[in-house]
Amino acid sequence: MDDPSQADDFVPAGLASLGIEADEIELAVMNAAKGMFWPPIVELLSLDTSGLEPERCPDLSQAPERP
Amino acid sequence: MSALDLTLRDQAAAIAAGDADPAQLLEETLARIEQRNPAINAVVETFPERSREMLAAAPSGPLHGVPVVIKDEWPLPWRAQRFGAAEMLAPSAPGESGPYRGLRDAGAVIVGVANMHELGAGSTGNLSVYGPARNPWNTERCPGGSSSGPAAAVAARLVVGAVGADGVGSIRFPAAYCGLTGLKPTFGRLPMAGHHMAAVSSTIVSGPLCADAADARLLASSLAGEPFEAGEPRGIRIGIVRDTVSEDVAPAVREACEQAIEALRAETGGEVVEIELADLEAAALATVIIANTESLGNLSPERLNRLDPGLSPIARGLIKFRLLLPAAASVKSHLVRTLMRRRLVNAFEDVDLIAWPTVPAVAPPLEAPLVELPSGVLTADQANVRGAGLANLTGIPSVSVPVGLSDGLPIGLQLQAAWGRDELLLDAAEALERANGRRWVEALSPLAQPETTEA
Repeated sequence: MDDPSQADDFVPAGLASLGIEADEIELAVMNAAKGMFWPPIVELLSLDTSGLEPERCPDLSQAPERP
Repeated sequence: MSALDLTLRDQAAAIAAGDADPAQLLEETLARIEQRNPAINAVVETFPERSREMLAAAPSGPLHGVPVVIKDEWPLPWRAQRFGAAEMLAPSAPGESGPYRGLRDAGAVIVGVANMHELGAGSTGNLSVYGPARNPWNTERCPGGSSSGPAAAVAARLVVGAVGADGVGSIRFPAAYCGLTGLKPTFGRLPMAGHHMAAVSSTIVSGPLCADAADARLLASSLAGEPFEAGEPRGIRIGIVRDTVSEDVAPAVREACEQAIEALRAETGGEVVEIELADLEAAALATVIIANTESLGNLSPERLNRLDPGLSPIARGLIKFRLLLPAAASVKSHLVRTLMRRRLVNAFEDVDLIAWPTVPAVAPPLEAPLVELPSGVLTADQANVRGAGLANLTGIPSVSVPVGLSDGLPIGLQLQAAWGRDELLLDAAEALERANGRRWVEALSPLAQPETTEA
């Protein structure tokens, strides 16, 4: 995992870069959300989908066509 | 027995046969809401004159004169939806939503707007601008979310039918927590017109919450304007998955669900088949990411810097956090959608249904919505999304059916089927009800007991 100090900076730095203000409680919520979601997001990004042919404009009301 | 305590279909039949007066039923329903609702905060607004006008103009449809409630996610001609929040972050105005039109054209009478989790962003119902709805089985417990009010209203028998919405389990969670049958239909099968996310959401559907599957079938048919025909399921192949969704589950929930699956197998002369369905955790996360990024078009830093202070700090923090999600995660989530849709095509060649617990534990306390699982203590939201996201991600239909009680709180089993096989889900739910002697669909919450509330 990242250096904890860098991880702590992620939320305030990200907000600052977008010009978004946040109070202490909101920051605490976002830090908790980051703690909860970031590890699985990193896992998700690591999922190997290189051989997967994307489904173009999927019709979610139906089964996908076989690639 | 008061007509109030009949099933939805029996109320409709009694009115059609002239055995019940719909005007009297409406007034009795309004009186019951006044009497029972303060304990559960399920209905956040009634409009008796509008309801009487709706009844006066009601056509002789399949729900003629039947009182229902609708989630605060759908606009009505006389009321804009508030989405359970101090502000919605999306345009909102009174109007004829698809579910409103479906109910109106079926002759139903909307008697109230039902509470919901703030901005639809939670599985518990513990946050709302109106204050939380409460679970009629235990008012200190979560009713489930985000369709908290619709579920609590039916579980307390304020009404016998409610319309909710499900973007990441939001019909099925409260159905499970409140002991109801909740249908998340195939994507696009039930009306979405008028929903503020209708043009951009690929996960949200409207759907019914009722006491049992026959009522859910009638309400779904009425919303769709086409019958969800009943069939007799025989030889159903029930798929089970040995994974977190079925194994990291409170023991009582696991036992009740396994017994229900076996009962369904026996009732239909079917078989239970163990199947592989990998990457379910990735699928759940992908659902959350897609659902949370599809609304970002309405947000800008300037807009986020002037959020209504009436929004909860949790909502404000989570809204802002959405803008920090990596774009690559959104793209990857859509690839996971494709991956899981193709895997389901293969799975549904081998099985007719896929079954696992709707939620891994019974309704947690409102004050601390945490659940204790074999893997440890998790927030209810973390735990619940694991089993619910797949249907929203891929578009398949899913239903939660009551299959037991633990510590006086309902347990729900989730059944999922291939695209367009919503009827099979309801057929299977009815078969399971028969197998259980209708024990769990006829179980009444303490607040729904006629003798304790109307003596």
